Amino acid sequence: MAPVLEFENVTKEYRSFPRRRLRALDKFSLRVEAGEIFGFLGANGAGKSTAIHLAMGFMRPTSGTGRLLGEPFGHARARRRVGFLAENVALYHRRAERLVRFYGALNGMGGSHLEKRARHVLEMVGLQDDLKRNVGKFSRGMLQRVGLAQALVNDPELLILDEPTSALDPLARVAVRELLLRAREAGKTIFLSSHLLSEVELVCDRVAMLHHGRLVRLGRTADLLQASEQTEIVARGIAVTCFAGAVARDGIVSFSVSTSAQRAAMEQVWSLGGEIVSVSPLRRSLEDIFLEVTAGPQSTRGGVH
Amino acid sequence: MKPVLLIAINFAREQRWPIFVLLLWVLLLAFLGLVTDIRHDREDLLLLFKYVAVYAVVFSIFFGGSAIYNERRSRRIVSVLSKAVGRQQYLSGLVLGVTLACAIYCFALGMTGSWTLGEAGFPVSQVWFLMLCLVAACTLAGTVALTFSTFLNPFFAAGATAVVLGLPALASHTMGPQWAYVIPVWELALTVIRASFDSPGTASWFLIEQAVAQTVAFWLLSARIFSYVDIAVAVE
Repeated sequence: MAPVLEFENVTKEYRSFPRRRLRALDKFSLRVEAGEIFGFLGANGAGKSTAIHLAMGFMRPTSGTGRLLGEPFGHARARRRVGFLAENVALYHRRAERLVRFYGALNGMGGSHLEKRARHVLEMVGLQDDLKRNVGKFSRGMLQRVGLAQALVNDPELLILDEPTSALDPLARVAVRELLLRAREAGKTIFLSSHLLSEVELVCDRVAMLHHGRLVRLGRTADLLQASEQTEIVARGIAVTCFAGAVARDGIVSFSVSTSAQRAAMEQVWSLGGEIVSVSPLRRSLEDIFLEVTAGPQSTRGGVH
Repeated sequence: MKPVLLIAINFAREQRWPIFVLLLWVLLLAFLGLVTDIRHDREDLLLLFKYVAVYAVVFSIFFGGSAIYNERRSRRIVSVLSKAVGRQQYLSGLVLGVTLACAIYCFALGMTGSWTLGEAGFPVSQVWFLMLCLVAACTLAGTVALTFSTFLNPFFAAGATAVVLGLPALASHTMGPQWAYVIPVWELALTVIRASFDSPGTASWFLIEQAVAQTVAFWLLSARIFSYVDIAVAVE
């Protein structure tokens, strides 16, 4: 099956006077498959938005190619099947319902279908009571929800979301998370760029991490989180001082050791007269991986030449 | 065609306040028509009519020169171009939007002019012919400004437009009248400025045709340039 979004050796350099070049993306390759929620992570300035803007055709790559829903980047025909929400969403000041209809009409929709669809997506994002209000008077969170509604109005095959929940309260975040999961169940593909690692951890099937324009991690979220060299051992009947870094609670002692030292640690527990309660590979969080990745030396930057 | 129309209407809507301010001048003309003796003050009315008409050309340069910049600065361009809208369609929408904004103004001016100047003895058909010249001049001037604004900021785009519109006018005075047909904004504006009760306007349809043809040429050029421009980066 052809990928819905594909970058092939894409490099993007920003040029400014005099002869300065900033490489935002460096030989970046990535394939996003149909039907998955794909998390796209990286620190500020890592190149996430540049990659998204290239995919949407807002800019051209310095070198390399890419395809969006089978069409080269920049094709208007492909964008008809895409829903896009930009970071710092900016919309025209008019009534929410009219605005969503305007964006739907730009995608070739019309008539009563568009009217119904506009109402439906605004209800989906919880703005059913604000259909007639001018978005110029909306809070940032509400604007983000209208932005999400305009991205959904054409019932897109691929949703590209750049920080979709950054301005939302916890309740709205949960609602958006559920909306994304429902969209995946309906066979949609979601490309999600976010700084909210806990959100990404909860919904994404695969994750890519970008650092200074280079892809530094790519894999299934579950695999990345379990790819740990540490094992957690929980035991009882031993003193907390027996193992370095051990923590005791209600007579239960837990500590972690490297996987290679796991057997020796278990034998030590038994030799001390203790009982093993559980042994499990230590799960890492995306935050741990993210910090590990972004703590790399600055010299890896594609950089200012 | 539908996205082009939507973008054009949206552009005119976004420019509603400048258009409203322009329309205040038309209201002033209408007010003078009401309170003065039209027959007696007809030269003054015609002078005001000409002034108010020429403002439209100046405004069309500002409309065209700032359209892309404003859309980029507000980031709204991203929400439009993320839809099934090509760059050429977007530019076409802006050209049509500038034309629409100027046409609204010229229509209001034409209506008021027909009434006030018509009462004073100026041929009504000639008022509308002058408005047609004005719309053609505005559209061409706006498109030239839009072309420059694809790669310059609004200030330099307006300056470059003034030079490009002014040079053929200068050349037509120094090197021969054939230069008047090159970007004929000045020549079309002169048609309005020279209009009098004795000679209500002598512009040829050829000049209007030239303006339309050159608008298309600048529109194609601007679309070509704009297709290579990165639009998502900060403009400041």
